[in-house]
Amino acid sequence: MGESTETGVELEDVSVSFGDVPALSDVTLSVAEGEFFTLVGPSGCGKTTTLRTIAGFETPASGTVRIGGRDVTGLPPEQRDVGIVFQNYALFPHMTVRENVAYSLQYRSAPGDTDSEERVAELLELVEVADLADRRPESLSGGQQQRVALARALAPGPDVLLLDEPLSALDARLREQLRLEVREIQRELGITTIYVTHDQAEALAISDRIGVVNDGRIEQIGTPEDVYRNPATRFVAAFVGENNVFDARVDGDNQSLTIDNERIDLPQSPPTRSDVTVCVRPEDIHLGSGEVTLSATVVHVEFLGDAYRVHCTWNGHSIRVRTQREPDGEDVTLGFDAADVTVIGAE
Amino acid sequence: MAWPSSDRVVFPVGLLATLLVLVTVFYYPVGRVLLAAINPGGTPLAPIVEILADPFYLGVAHHVFADPMGVPAGVLTWLADGAPLSAVEFGLFGFTAYQAALSALASVALGLPGAYVLARFDFWGRQTLTSLTIVPFVLPSILVAVGFQAMFGRTGLFNDLLGVVGLGPIEVLYSLPAIVIAHAFYNAPLVTRFVTSAWEGIDAREIESARSMGATPIRAFRDVVLPQLRPALLSATLLAFVFSFMSFPIVLALGGLELQTVEVWLYAKVQSLDLEAAAALAVLESAISLAIMYIYLRYESGQIVSHTGGRSRSRRSLVAGWRTLSDPRRLAVLAYGCVAAVVFLGPILSLLIESVTGPEGAFTTAYYEFLLARQASTAVGTIAPLTAIRNSVLFALGTLATAVPMGVIVSLVATRSGRGSRLAETLLSAPIAVSGIVVGLGLLQTLVFGVEVLGHRLTVTGWIAVVAAHAVAAYPFVTRNVTPALAGIDDRLVETARSLGATRFRALLTVTLPLIVAPLVAGAAFAFAISIGEFDSTVLLAEGGASHTMPVALERYVGNRSIGPSLGPATAMGTVLLAVTAASFVVIDRVGGRYDG
Repeated sequence: MGESTETGVELEDVSVSFGDVPALSDVTLSVAEGEFFTLVGPSGCGKTTTLRTIAGFETPASGTVRIGGRDVTGLPPEQRDVGIVFQNYALFPHMTVRENVAYSLQYRSAPGDTDSEERVAELLELVEVADLADRRPESLSGGQQQRVALARALAPGPDVLLLDEPLSALDARLREQLRLEVREIQRELGITTIYVTHDQAEALAISDRIGVVNDGRIEQIGTPEDVYRNPATRFVAAFVGENNVFDARVDGDNQSLTIDNERIDLPQSPPTRSDVTVCVRPEDIHLGSGEVTLSATVVHVEFLGDAYRVHCTWNGHSIRVRTQREPDGEDVTLGFDAADVTVIGAE
Repeated sequence: MAWPSSDRVVFPVGLLATLLVLVTVFYYPVGRVLLAAINPGGTPLAPIVEILADPFYLGVAHHVFADPMGVPAGVLTWLADGAPLSAVEFGLFGFTAYQAALSALASVALGLPGAYVLARFDFWGRQTLTSLTIVPFVLPSILVAVGFQAMFGRTGLFNDLLGVVGLGPIEVLYSLPAIVIAHAFYNAPLVTRFVTSAWEGIDAREIESARSMGATPIRAFRDVVLPQLRPALLSATLLAFVFSFMSFPIVLALGGLELQTVEVWLYAKVQSLDLEAAAALAVLESAISLAIMYIYLRYESGQIVSHTGGRSRSRRSLVAGWRTLSDPRRLAVLAYGCVAAVVFLGPILSLLIESVTGPEGAFTTAYYEFLLARQASTAVGTIAPLTAIRNSVLFALGTLATAVPMGVIVSLVATRSGRGSRLAETLLSAPIAVSGIVVGLGLLQTLVFGVEVLGHRLTVTGWIAVVAAHAVAAYPFVTRNVTPALAGIDDRLVETARSLGATRFRALLTVTLPLIVAPLVAGAAFAFAISIGEFDSTVLLAEGGASHTMPVALERYVGNRSIGPSLGPATAMGTVLLAVTAASFVVIDRVGGRYDG
């Protein structure tokens, strides 16, 4: 899209509050040019506020927002070259699909040498709704509306694309299909994209990097694999993917730790603290004994299609196990490798 | 919020202009009137105290102000006499409140069944009827008064019909019932509208839940429906009370010489140039109506319930073949329909019929010819009908041009959340609770007679003052139509527009305004109709000038005994007024407005 200048997004110590209620506290993050970055967290955690601050709809109480190295903290939204797509599509109901997509071109010239008509046609082609150009938004399905909203946001060739839960209102199958398409379009255009979702699975599937947001703060930033395998906080461990989280105590020899009375030898040294949080993914636990073996009681078994999810209790802790085999009875032996135990570090 | 340069200018400038207009043509003039009553150069509050201590105004309650220490003894004496109610006098204020309360009750009695029919039954023309409930509200009240005279007068349709069956004539006019029924004509549709919309908003699933938990239909109605109707009913009743309390032309034309309200007496005081007493009355009347209006607004803001994703109940068909006549419920609806037809259609039809019916009951065009003859007459003080029509339309257009932008700006303030906007909204909405007479009097005393501003003497000629007064009366209706629509617009539409490069002002023009066209046009229709029908302030401001309007002309023809005892010329003028009002409504309706305010 046009000459590509530096289009990364940086937030430095950004704090936003609504009245006396803090919504964001000292958020610092840096999204590289062309990167697909996802903010994920429970509802009300501040991820949408972060997006709105980047777009210019919220003014930070302190901190700096930069787009392409330029300080835009005080700029109004219309001067930021940022495209935004909302969950409810927010298509202008009094305009046709074509008019919606062309809306920005009265304020900003189309990128490249195209005139606005060509530009609109090109975009409608890109999102595969060319045949709907003269329809009104209310006559379109949710998925079609979302495609139009995406085309509209891309029309002026923005530096940054902001997507605020764009797929959450769609049914599961369509959501998965559209997220692939969004990702493909983003790769094709190479546009810096910040995506907000509460769905951690979606975040893992679609992103170059993820920022996990909780209570107005960023808990961890990293690649999906990194965040999944090495959660930095207890919150991240519990929120991203399914997990079994335990409090543990590091033993005196610094080579093992104990959960209740179960001793686990560790392949590498744990942090030199006595109290830590550890987690084991359900898929790393199997029925039968292992390096670490626990005797647990089955509470409930869910059939998921490709596997079973077995809910057990052990010493008053609930443990989830993902297994290919249905357990035989109530009493089971659970086993896992010490290498699959991740130490988070006490909070 | 950081605003770009054009926005920093446009919105504040509009707001400032609106405030300036309001201060110039409302707050300052009305303030002058009120000040005149509070400190006329003598003892502070003397005129008000004088009124409060006068049995003519306050009846028995005047003792509280005239001789506070004597009140306990007086009450004891009264009780010792056996507490005779006949000895209790209510005075002018008491009577005004009494008739307003009766009018509010009558409005509920007439309007509530209408809400039941519209909300619960389906029949041909239901939508149209729902739309029509707004019409009485914008009919010029002097026109309705003449309609009632044409219907219930000694030579009116009602007595003519009684004569056919050998009864009558009955004198209904110039009595309390006439005033109360005329007020009900005005306010019953208000009750119907409020309650119908509350009734239609009730989610069918709530009633179904109640029924599935064992409630009978009557219990479900009492436990689920009634509590949700009560706020709407109460709001409408309060409004009906305020409007009847401040009503002027109806009482002037139907009250005769005996029955007077505060507003009519206020007008009489202005006419006899007793401005001090007029000002004191204005203060007291405004205080009462503002207090009730405040209660109404407080109450209304507390009862906003958002109905999301609800499903409204299906209506039953009103006409169900031969069973229609055996079902007591449907028979009751039918009876109600007859009463409603008499009250609502009667006066209008009577007006039309009387305008072409001679004293002997034969068809005549004499009254219209009389109007044309008046136009040709050059006698002093003659009110020329065509000039009145032209003035009315011009003033209405002027009102439209002023009231619509003002109304939209007030709506923008009202929907903007933030400190101060609630206060601003209240200040900007105050005109709805101050009577037209007071506004007219204020304008007369200030702008029309001239104001000293920075050494320059400013005077405003008649027609500008009239348009200003009309705009003040009309813009709240624009606001009331536009505000809900504005509040209903998803913020994200505007945000999207701005991220696509539109400034705040451009987003307003290209996204917000196109989405509120229908309510905006409806508000404009209101503003136009309010202006066409405005009487209270116009009658003062157009006094003796060339700026009289149709309603003023109409009142002159009613009051002018020199043109004979016949209502003919007045009904002819009324028919013309009705035609112009209806035509303007049709025109605006075609442009795209719908009255679902």
